[in-house]
Parts: sequence; C-alpha cells; structure tokens
Amino acid sequence: MAKNISRRKFLKNAVIGGAAIGSGLGSYQITYGQAKKPTGPIKIGGQGAVSGAHADYGWQMIAGSTMAIEEINAKGGVSGRKLELKFMDEELKPATAVKNARYLVTDWGADVLFGVDSSGCAMALGPVLAELNRVHIFCHAATHRLTEELVAQRRIPQIFRISVPTYQDGILPALIMKDFPEIKRWAGIHEDYEYGYVAWNTFKETMKKVRPDVEFVSIAWAPFWTMDFSSHIAAVMAEKPDAIHTTKWAGEGVMLLRQALTMGVFDNIKVWWQCMGGSVDVLQGIAREVEADKFKGKLWASARYIHNYPVTPENRAFVEKFIKRWGKYPNYSAETSYSSIYVIKAAIEKAKSLETAKLVAAIEGMEIMTPAGKRYFRPEDHQAVYNVPGGRVIKSPDYPLPILGDLRVIPANDYYRHPPFTPISATK
Amino acid sequence: MYLWLLAAGLTLVFGVLGVLNFAHGSLFMLGAYAAFTFYGKLNINFGLSILLSLISVGIIGAILERFFIRRIYDLDLPYQLILTFGFILIFDDLVKMVWGGVAMIPPMPGFLEGNLTVLGRPYPFYNIFIIFAGLAVALVLWLILEKTWWGRMIRASASDREMAGAIGINIPFLFTTVFVLSAMLAALGGALGTPVRVVAPGIGTAMIIQAFVITVIGGLGNLKGAFVGALIVGILTSFGILLFPIFELFIIFVVMAIVLMVKPEGLFGK
Repeated sequence: MAKNISRRKFLKNAVIGGAAIGSGLGSYQITYGQAKKPTGPIKIGGQGAVSGAHADYGWQMIAGSTMAIEEINAKGGVSGRKLELKFMDEELKPATAVKNARYLVTDWGADVLFGVDSSGCAMALGPVLAELNRVHIFCHAATHRLTEELVAQRRIPQIFRISVPTYQDGILPALIMKDFPEIKRWAGIHEDYEYGYVAWNTFKETMKKVRPDVEFVSIAWAPFWTMDFSSHIAAVMAEKPDAIHTTKWAGEGVMLLRQALTMGVFDNIKVWWQCMGGSVDVLQGIAREVEADKFKGKLWASARYIHNYPVTPENRAFVEKFIKRWGKYPNYSAETSYSSIYVIKAAIEKAKSLETAKLVAAIEGMEIMTPAGKRYFRPEDHQAVYNVPGGRVIKSPDYPLPILGDLRVIPANDYYRHPPFTPISATK
Repeated sequence: MYLWLLAAGLTLVFGVLGVLNFAHGSLFMLGAYAAFTFYGKLNINFGLSILLSLISVGIIGAILERFFIRRIYDLDLPYQLILTFGFILIFDDLVKMVWGGVAMIPPMPGFLEGNLTVLGRPYPFYNIFIIFAGLAVALVLWLILEKTWWGRMIRASASDREMAGAIGINIPFLFTTVFVLSAMLAALGGALGTPVRVVAPGIGTAMIIQAFVITVIGGLGNLKGAFVGALIVGILTSFGILLFPIFELFIIFVVMAIVLMVKPEGLFGK
C-alpha cells in the first residue's frame, strides 16, 4: 500500500512539474511569438458603501452593474469574453478603499475598476490608481478636486467620472432660481463638510453674478448625521429668508424636510431647494407629504440622474428592466454604475485590448448614449458631461412615487467649470 | 428630551450595575425600528405602538442582561467595552438584514401635527409633546426610585451590593429588572422620535456620544445629573448653532472638558 501511494505521489509530482515546464515554455512563446487569444472572463472590480447608514447607495451600484453585466453576457460578452464582477465594501473609509483596490487588482486580477461613494475615498484612491495602472470609473464620489486636481493638474489618466461633480448642486440651482425675481433673500442649511461648502459657495458666486440684487441672509451648518434640525431651522428662519438652499441628503434630507414642515417653514418661504432631493430614496421618504401637498409646490430639487428624464427609449427600457429585475426604482448610483459597465464595454471594443493606456485613449473624448442621455468624456479632465435638469417635486398620476416635474434643462457644457481650474473656496 | 431618555437609562445601568453599556444606543435604535414596524407598517395606533416597542425592547434587554452582561460583572471594564461594542455591530447588521439599509420614516400622527406660535415663532406641537413626555418620565422615575420598595432595593444595592444581598435582596433578579427598565427608556427615546426622525442603521451610534457627554457632565450614575446634563447639552447646541455656527460642534466638548477639570466626578457626582 505504502509503495503504491508513493508511486502515485511521484507520478502526480511529475505531471505537475511537466505542466509547469510546459506553461513556462508557453509564456516564453507568447512573449516572442504573436498574441495568444486570451480566454476566461474580463474581470471588473467595484466598490461602494455596502454597510452602514448609507448601505443602500452601495446596493444600488451592485444592482445597476449586475444588470448591465447580465445583459452583456446574455449577448455573448465583450469580444467573445464574459464579464465577471466582484464588488467590495469601501465602508466610506479611505484606507479600506485603497486596500480594496490593491486586492482587486493584484490578488483578484481586475482588468478595470469602478464605483466609490465617498469623495474622501476617491481622493485617497487616485494616486494609487496611477501605481496599479487600471482605469477607474467613479460613479458617485463627487468632489470636483478628483478630476480638476488629480486628472487635469497631476495627470493621473486612469481616473474617469461618469456622475456629476459637487458644484452641480450650487451652479445649476442658481441658474434656475435667477428667473424668480421675487426671491431676493437666500438662506442655507448645509452639510458641515466639503460638499456643503462647495455647493453653497458656488451657489453664492453664481447667483451674485447673475442677480446682483440677491442677499444671502443666514447659514446654518449641520454635521454629518444630525438628528434634530430644529435649532438650525429656527436660526435660519429668524432672518426671514425668501428661500432656503440645502445639501442635506439621503435620510438626513428627509428628516430635515419633515422637521421643517412641523415648524411651519413652508408657510413662510417661497422656495426650498433640496440638493440631491431628486434621488429616489428621498422622494420615497416624503411621498405622503407630497401627495397631501404639504410643501405647497415650493419644493425644488436637483439630482445626478432622475428616472423620468430624459424621455428616450434607452432610459425607459433601463427603468422598466430595473424595476422588473429588482422591484424598485433606480436611483442615480444605479444608473451611473450601469452606464459605467457600458462605457467599459465600448472602450474595450474600441481599443481591442485591455491595456490601460489604450483604454484611457478610448474613453477620452468618447460620446456614448446612456439612460441618463448622451454622455461626453471630455479629455481635459475626464469628467463626463451630460445634462441633469432641476425641477419641482410633484406627484404625477403616472408614477407611484413623487417625481421631479416642471423640469429646467440647462446644457451641462455651459455651466461646468472649464480649465484652467481656479480653486473653489472649500471652507465655511 | 430624547437625549434625557437615553442618558437616563445609561446612567441608571452604570449607577446600579456598574456597567458602561455602549450598546445602549443600539437599544434606542431597536426601539425606533420596533415603533416604526408597529406604527408605520402594521398601522397600529401610535400610543399602542410605543408601548409594544417598549415591551419588545424590554424583552431583548432582559435576554441581553441574563445571558451576556451578567457574566462580566466581575471582570474589568475593557471586557464590558468589548462585549457591549460587539453588540452594537451585531444589532446594526441585524437591523440591516431585517429592515434593509434605506432610511425610513412613518407618517406623523394626526393629532400631533401643526404648530403653536410662541413668542412670535412657530413651535411644533410634536416638540411640546416630547417635552411633556420627558418630564413625565423624569417624574415617574423619581417616584419609583424614591417612593417605592423596589426603588429602595435598587438604591440599597447600588450603594452596597454585598450588604444588600446579605439582607435578602435577590440581586441578580433586581439587576435584570433595572437593565430592562434602562432598555425601555432607550426604546422610548427611539420610538418617540420616529415620526420626525428617520429610522436607519446607525442612528443609535449617532446619539450615544452625546449621551455619554451628558452623563459625564452630570456625573456618572446620577439621574438628576443626567437630566440637568441633557438640558445643558441641548441648550448649548441650540445656542451654538445660532451664535457660533463655525464651531458649535465642539462647544459641548469644551464644557465637558471644563467640568472634568473643575469637578471630575461631574456636576452632581458624589
């Protein structure tokens, strides 16, 4: 018996050794001969906030990208190869995001990366991408510095962003609200971190240019995850503003609106601008109040993609499929991650390669039709340019949840910042 | 007032059981989720939903004390931290598995809608309701602790556990009841907040830090201190936002640091 086993072991070792030599020779041949046809799936590594209070945002990314990959694979994949997804939890911590990216590329063997919710994570990840040398499509992290500083100035070409930058929530509302001559006194209730500072500062700057008669009467800063806004609301309302501009998003936005209602704010102001209020989770949270017309039609919102715009076959097909597949409406993270996968597909097909430099060249200047409309990746800072309108929150008979209506479309190319980029004041 | 309810339970457990319960915020969160389920999902009457949520969290509290906390009374403080912190993580993920990660908010009970004009400013009915609820709880707690036999047993075992045991008080059972009471206070804070605050994983941890500041300012283990501490923190936060919007965040920590320097045992500490 013992002899038998050792003979088997010997044979096994011999086979493994032989295989190793064979594969060694194989790779030798590949280096010097013509390209061997690559097999196996193309690996796409993603990450987002899958745990914690904002776990739904990460879930939306998984749902959107999974759906895109299923569609593509059902039609035979990309250049005959299937797509494979691995999605990790960034925990909204920069160190974790960097660790994930390193794992995805060096251990798991990701060919392309996408995702990331937090701007802090994105900024930490940027320089690491240059070293890992993988294209990364950011589909939520919104800090303008990601594309303006890391791409345009520090030349990290691997970074692309498919979603809107933070100043969307400052410049767009200002350009829409300038047409309301009766609104002269603006107040703000804002996030006490970079997003709030940038949105409020760009809002003020733009407004001052187009409407010199407007005053900014008061501002309250509320830290991330504030539960009780009554002091903020009272402080701001004490100055009797005509309108309020706020960046509190997700669950906090719902809380703020609900508490503003209990304090009678909507009896005393003309407009409330809720940045990112066009996201499905916020609309769902205030559905009953909208239906009862508690906001009196004074609630406006911006977003990063809204499911009822644009009215195109692409968008309708996407929304219908998403609801059928997952049982709920897609928010912007679902759309941006879904479209990221299609950008990756288009880039690989155009570059006919998985080499990062060739993929970068393929995405630079790419124009692609996505559910959110036509996107253009401008070469100077790798920011996708696409139109997301602002609008009034309304109840429509065609939808179970409130939507943005009375949409005001302003071409993104007209108000996006262009190089040379001057720093935005990112302080209180 | 939410802070008072939270801090009251925290300080009660510390004073009597000697346990620093980090998972107290999670019980607050569970109270909010339970109230949301009964009231927002099953459309049970608001008052009854709050009662049901108190009972369910009370049961969870009893299980927690009987099978876990009881085992570590004699161990060092770090073990308490590890155990109760572990429960924060467990409860956060459990909540996510059952209710999902999206923030949810139930409708406002009709009779509490609207607002009252106080000194020329609109003041929500709901906040008035919460203030009276908080005061009522303070009164009831005081009556229980000062006037009832059970309250006397609690005070006795808080000042000398061994002696209380020697004269025939069933200490383990008493501790369970105190822990349940504390869990119900946390749940009440969470449940009362549901119509104006969202329920989401992580709301407990957002509150627990302030609750700790309150108990430290007031004196650990002191109910009167917790009440005054909650008022101080609440008022400081409001005025901070109004007067010093740039650094309202750290005002309460400055006050805590001053209290610790001048009177390390807290304003009402012994």
